[in-house]
Amino acid sequence: MPTTVTASTVALLALAGALKALFLAPGPAAGQAFWREDAPKLPMAPTWLAEKAELPPYSPPRTPEGVPDLQGVWGAPGGDGLSYLEDHEYIDVTTPAQETFISDPPDGKVPYTPWAMARRNEILAGLARGWPGESGERLYASPSSYCLYFMPEFSFEEVEIVQQPGKVIMLGANGYRVIPTDGRAPFDENAKFWFGISRGRWEGDTLVVEVTNLNGKSWFDSTGHFFSENTRMIERLRLADADTIDYEITIEDPTIYARPWKMNFPKRRPGTGPQTRGARIPGAVAAGAGQFEDPYANEYWEVACYEGNGPSAASLRELGFQWFTGVAPPP
Amino acid sequence: MFTLTAACVLLPMTGLGQTEATSPYTPPRTADGHPDLRGVWQVLNTAAWDLEDHSASLGVPAGQSVVEGGTIPYLESALEKRQENLEQRATLDPENRCYLPGVPRITYMPFPFQIIQQADKVTIAYEYLRTVRYIHMNGNPHPPGPIDWWMGDSRGHWEGDTLVVDVIHFNDKTWFDRAGNYHSDALHVVERYTPTGPNHLLYEATIEDPNVFTRPWTISMPLYRRQEQDIELLEYQCHAYLLEEEWDNPESTFFNEH
Repeated sequence: MPTTVTASTVALLALAGALKALFLAPGPAAGQAFWREDAPKLPMAPTWLAEKAELPPYSPPRTPEGVPDLQGVWGAPGGDGLSYLEDHEYIDVTTPAQETFISDPPDGKVPYTPWAMARRNEILAGLARGWPGESGERLYASPSSYCLYFMPEFSFEEVEIVQQPGKVIMLGANGYRVIPTDGRAPFDENAKFWFGISRGRWEGDTLVVEVTNLNGKSWFDSTGHFFSENTRMIERLRLADADTIDYEITIEDPTIYARPWKMNFPKRRPGTGPQTRGARIPGAVAAGAGQFEDPYANEYWEVACYEGNGPSAASLRELGFQWFTGVAPPP
Repeated sequence: MFTLTAACVLLPMTGLGQTEATSPYTPPRTADGHPDLRGVWQVLNTAAWDLEDHSASLGVPAGQSVVEGGTIPYLESALEKRQENLEQRATLDPENRCYLPGVPRITYMPFPFQIIQQADKVTIAYEYLRTVRYIHMNGNPHPPGPIDWWMGDSRGHWEGDTLVVDVIHFNDKTWFDRAGNYHSDALHVVERYTPTGPNHLLYEATIEDPNVFTRPWTISMPLYRRQEQDIELLEYQCHAYLLEEEWDNPESTFFNEH
């Protein structure tokens, strides 16, 4: 779960002997970085929207099945990953200034209903990360801290897309998704999963994936932006050019949001795009990928986060953090 | 009734896998020209409980050995630990802590898995823990060790229609079943996946570990293609359920031992 690891997690990973795999893996783990306070604000949705508007129309190659060919390895959003969803200035070494992931509404903020907003603020104030404005209570640690994997974070991370007739498969360092595109029936809405249930279809050049049946126990980022077990997510993946997927996800849940909202960012093939040219990581001081000429650089190696290479759930429990069981409207 | 009994007696073969293994089968090919093993597969046996012949007990179905020759050739000095594992399996079995189960154990757990093939690797996506296992076929040898991985390092090649997978770099923390059969970190597994019909693979795994066994030994079993038209891997996030259950239990000893 590389882009969600915090600075302390990185230290633990290194101690646990996973360092080699961490650096050799082609994924976002290699990009895990510590940031200087004077690093320029990292780009996300606003920069991508402007960049996208200038791109000429692109017609994607097709698979033998006749659908757009999205196959290959596609990177994580970059920047500080999913440490903070909304626009923010520098907070600490793993939370540099970064633009918002949110492309709609235009203010770049999650449009919570009033009670959900109050809950979100309560969670933010109880992160106990030494950030300004905290309540002093330890409320919840990010579910990622327990080595749990879930949507939509999995899709945001680096994944390799493999296509077969009737399905799109996403392979990652820590798991996989198999997305049926054969028009099959939805799953009973009472069954809930960490990854939800995905149903895909092709609309012109775009892969549209509806994700439902989510258990609502996980977060979008490490600051507690949440969804619920009623949330429906609609992902749209389209090739903006040969090396870039325009990844957009719409989040719908009238029980906690005042309106549907969207996140939008590019997923690029490794070795392409501005991030690898160095322009966007002037603040990074940690070692990254590309430093090692290694025949194994394109292989995912075992992470075994829960088994001992990740942060300790025991110490977080000992510190008094609660288990996040999801949000529900006030009675 | 008489007719049925007669028919059963007259049928000479005991198992489907065996029937198919004796007759040549030419599997369909992928675009790369290799046998097409893609699909959702699952075992149908009791190896998850015990690899050897065993009787039934509460929650444990009786079962036949999947070990060639019937029994696992333990070193005399290694038997005591197996017995201790068996007696204390409730607390010692790593499955009860939701750890990655290792190879070959993950193959015969009671969950489906999906085989995905590409030119540079065969990937097995297991429903259990959403484990993704990459069998690299990119020409790289095993990386130099020592490495202690739960699932080991898998390198594959084709021998005729058989996918052969060499697996090393294990830790000593996984077991082979719920009966306490175990290994050391010197474990070396060679798996063979052979199509024997459109809906069956013969799965064989040869297990070598000079610290625990007197000689290499082999397990074999059919893998069955799940026949449901809309079969779909779901999820069993064992560690998430366990953590959530133990979190609010003030008497929990789990976190001290994890």
